[in-house]
Amino acid sequence: MKNRRRLTEIFKSTLLIIGLIFVAIPFAWILLTAFKRPVDAASVPPVIFSPFTLDNFRSLKSDEYIGSLINSVIITVLATTTTLFFGVPAGYAFARGKFKGRKFFGAFLLFSRMVPPVIYIIPLFLFFHKLNLIGTFSGLTLAYLTGLLPFTVWMSASYFQDIPTELEEAGRIDGCNRIQAFVLIALPLAMPGIISVGLLICIAAWSEYFIPMLLGGPTTSPATVGIVNFIGVDSINWGAMCAGALTLVIPVFILTLLAQRGLLSGLTAGAIKG
Amino acid sequence: MQTSAVNQTSIRKRYSLSHIIDKYFLVFVSWPSMLIMLAVTAIPFIITIILSFTNYDLILEDWKFIGFNNFRELVKDPQLPKILSNTAYLVIGSTVLTTVFGLGLAVLMNSTVRGTRTIRSMYMLPIMTAPIVVAFTWRAMFNNDAGWINWILGLLHLPKPLWLGDPHLAMPAILISDMWTGVAFQAILLLAGLMSVPIELKQAATTDGATSWQVFWHVTLPHIRPVLFVAILLRLIEAFRKFEGIQILTTGGPGIASTPLNLAIYDTGLYYDRVGYAASMGVLLIVIIAISVGLLFRFSPRQELGK
Repeated sequence: MKNRRRLTEIFKSTLLIIGLIFVAIPFAWILLTAFKRPVDAASVPPVIFSPFTLDNFRSLKSDEYIGSLINSVIITVLATTTTLFFGVPAGYAFARGKFKGRKFFGAFLLFSRMVPPVIYIIPLFLFFHKLNLIGTFSGLTLAYLTGLLPFTVWMSASYFQDIPTELEEAGRIDGCNRIQAFVLIALPLAMPGIISVGLLICIAAWSEYFIPMLLGGPTTSPATVGIVNFIGVDSINWGAMCAGALTLVIPVFILTLLAQRGLLSGLTAGAIKG
Repeated sequence: MQTSAVNQTSIRKRYSLSHIIDKYFLVFVSWPSMLIMLAVTAIPFIITIILSFTNYDLILEDWKFIGFNNFRELVKDPQLPKILSNTAYLVIGSTVLTTVFGLGLAVLMNSTVRGTRTIRSMYMLPIMTAPIVVAFTWRAMFNNDAGWINWILGLLHLPKPLWLGDPHLAMPAILISDMWTGVAFQAILLLAGLMSVPIELKQAATTDGATSWQVFWHVTLPHIRPVLFVAILLRLIEAFRKFEGIQILTTGGPGIASTPLNLAIYDTGLYYDRVGYAASMGVLLIVIIAISVGLLFRFSPRQELGK
């Protein structure tokens, strides 16, 4: 009996380790290729270890990639703050109930999460073209809201629902108006949840490719679009691409490890509460 | 005198700014978001439906209403059956595979005592990786000569297929790359569900003589059904909108061997400039998604419909 339990334990650990290897291999490839000599990056058969070099990162500097990385930061900050500014109060209203249009709003939130962005993007492309918004940061921010805003409203509503209304009612009796009850009582209590929503939309904005590929311009394209430029007509500069990938991935990983708990609650809260 | 003074203050109070703010506070804070969403999602959605009845072309910019002509052409389009079967393959394949493996992984992580948190944080990394990075990394993995997959197959003296250049293997390759993030995502979600199952419930079943398989099937699974439902729904939606993982990996090829509807809409509208025709494909996609989600809701327990 004891032996058998031991055996299943070993079996389980083996399976978990196999899964981790599956997860790790692509990361290992990125890491190794980023520091390889460009000649070794696409050699046949693959050279796993090649002399350590920073050449690939130097080619990032000489290219326009650094500029696109700065654009990424600008767009991420703009999109995240705008989304939180509009989305969190709306989530509060949604959690607290009665206002005109609530039912429609709720159905619409669900609906807009199901429709793929390609449906919105063609009309947006036409509008933006007419309004000269293509390739501007304000246009991109507006387009990013299509996905980020419904998510933020939905998630922050679920966090506000967890806060008992009695606290705000007590505050109101003590002379708070509704703005104060929201800003001074509900908002601080929901802050951990809002931070995890903020982190998730921050990462989503940072990783977005489809929208800026179509609506971005030469001076506003983020790094997710810039990195594709390393795919040439007949060859791919894998080394520079992996160096670029590290600049995209490492900030997010540091964030993930630092704020694991918050991110986890953000990822799972929607599912657990329905 | 006194009563009228009281009246006046109450009137003043009723029409004072702070009173109005108080009364309409929820409207003030919710409508800006609603208006933005109307502008960036609802209106474009309606425009797409309208465009589907036109012959709008990006280059000519000259258009007129052509009734149901786009839809008539779409039904007869010789490429449509392949595109639809690719869509079904992708959506069903991705949802089923990621959920089955994700559930297995979640059960494994839940049952081992040591290192769960470290392991879980490692499985979060693929979810947090930008889809574009995932896409070109797997493109490199599947490379004919220099890719690691064929390199390993070669070391094992197995045949080295073309993967992305082979019409029969392009879709499976996309599914494999999809599982890399998808399984991790499902596992993280379902693990949260599994951890919410009260341990007393399982212990009670075990004391009553249930095998661990019976405990899983009759206690754990019913308990996590709501989470399972949401996880499947999210994955389904994700599969319908998958873009980078196909465009960068295969560009939908060879030919249209790995083009699902989502990518076909993009190609038709913004690459071949046939916006009207692309919009009619968009309407078809919406109908398919609505039917799929509707079916999913039908086969789910009632209690989840509430919210």
